[in-house]
Amino acid sequence: MTASEIRVPSFAEVYGELVKIAGNVQKYSKLLTSNARIAQTPKEVIWTLNKAKLYRYVPIVADEKRHKIPLFLVFAIMNRPHVLDLRPGHSFVEYMLQHGYDVYLLDWGAPGPEDRNLNFDNYTLDYLPRAVRKVKSVSGSDTFSMLGWCLGALISTLYAALRPDDGLKNLILLTAPLDFTDKTAGGFSRWTSHPDFNADKIVDAFGNVPGEMIDYGAKALKSVENFVGSFLSLWDNINNPKVVESWHAMNTWVRDTIPMAGGAYRQLINEFYKENRLMEGTLAIKGEHVDLGKLRANVLNVIAEADHITPPCQSEGVMNRLGSADKQLLRVRGGHIGIMAGSGAEKNTWPHLEQWLAARSSL
Amino acid sequence: MTQKDETFNPFDPTGMFKDMQTTGMDAWSKMMIQMVHTDAYAKATGIMLDTWASSSAVFRQTMETIMREVLTKLNMPTRADVIGLAERLGNIEMRLDDLEAKLDEKPRGPRKAAAASPRS
Repeated sequence: MTASEIRVPSFAEVYGELVKIAGNVQKYSKLLTSNARIAQTPKEVIWTLNKAKLYRYVPIVADEKRHKIPLFLVFAIMNRPHVLDLRPGHSFVEYMLQHGYDVYLLDWGAPGPEDRNLNFDNYTLDYLPRAVRKVKSVSGSDTFSMLGWCLGALISTLYAALRPDDGLKNLILLTAPLDFTDKTAGGFSRWTSHPDFNADKIVDAFGNVPGEMIDYGAKALKSVENFVGSFLSLWDNINNPKVVESWHAMNTWVRDTIPMAGGAYRQLINEFYKENRLMEGTLAIKGEHVDLGKLRANVLNVIAEADHITPPCQSEGVMNRLGSADKQLLRVRGGHIGIMAGSGAEKNTWPHLEQWLAARSSL
Repeated sequence: MTQKDETFNPFDPTGMFKDMQTTGMDAWSKMMIQMVHTDAYAKATGIMLDTWASSSAVFRQTMETIMREVLTKLNMPTRADVIGLAERLGNIEMRLDDLEAKLDEKPRGPRKAAAASPRS
């Protein structure tokens, strides 16, 4: 471009641009510092234990048209479960309610200093069976389906293997970190399995591991996208209401970090990431040996192909160890969170889960 | 929002970053992803956390000792006391939950028996 081609803007144009920019900056800063209204689907608390809460979503399909087997959602322990009910019109919970499911959600809550010793033993055999008992009692069904996501899938798997006669009929695992054989797969595995990574010292220093630290670790795996790209993308789309609404909801969920109980963190790093006890067959939960061969529920194991937090190999390897007669592996294009909360989830993931479950949700 | 054509827009504050994004973001991202997946990064992370945890331990222990002594002298509960109490409450809550479950089962029992009797 030559100097003669540069057109000098008029004062009105300059003023107009400045007003537009000022408005956009104001909008941008409001989006960065405010919370979107997420987790809006009507629900009621039906059970609590310590910080954990069990919600039942208000059904929207008439009783006689609903699936008889309730769906129990178990999310990870280091994030809020709101991502399953992100925003009206784009919520997995809402979708399943519309398809006639009786939906329950377990929110583990944020651990306090008194919970620093909580570990997977407690989550799997103290909390989960009690929550299951309540789900069965309220729904009136002796069988149920369970969907576990991330560490929630790990806990669900342990529970399903340890309590195969508890009525669990269908188990959906989403991005489940179960097999840590490959220490070079994914950043977390590489970092935590390094001899210099000492989880005990971290837990001794913090008690509960701060949510910010876990959040930083997850974001550092794709630092440019998370620390720069996401914010540039928002600026680029600041006048696109659909993108803005979606970004704001996701950012609200991402910013709401909670600590991870120290005992669970210690166990996750030492017994799972470093020693791979579940796959080695040496894992014991409250003294009970975990044998994946005893897991008999129907299993749908969902893998996110571009998952940088739980690489596919950490979920795949479990399939031939499961005792289930009906087990399927489903690969979905997307990342760890994107497959369930991204813009394509409603087309690429949710219908698959719903159809698989519908075929197995009659008594 | 940011410039879409080749004309330089002096009023777009993120124009420069947008240029960087379109031209170098992918390369930058790949480079960072590769870096965090190296053994050197894993080692550095481990050492950094270990050093921080070790060095802060002395300060933390000193603070805990001072606070415990001060609170004890003021005849007030210490952090350990409050945590211990919270743990006991947690255990009581679990027992209450088990009791509640047993009470829930009671009304279900006779109903089941009544429903079963006509068939038998």
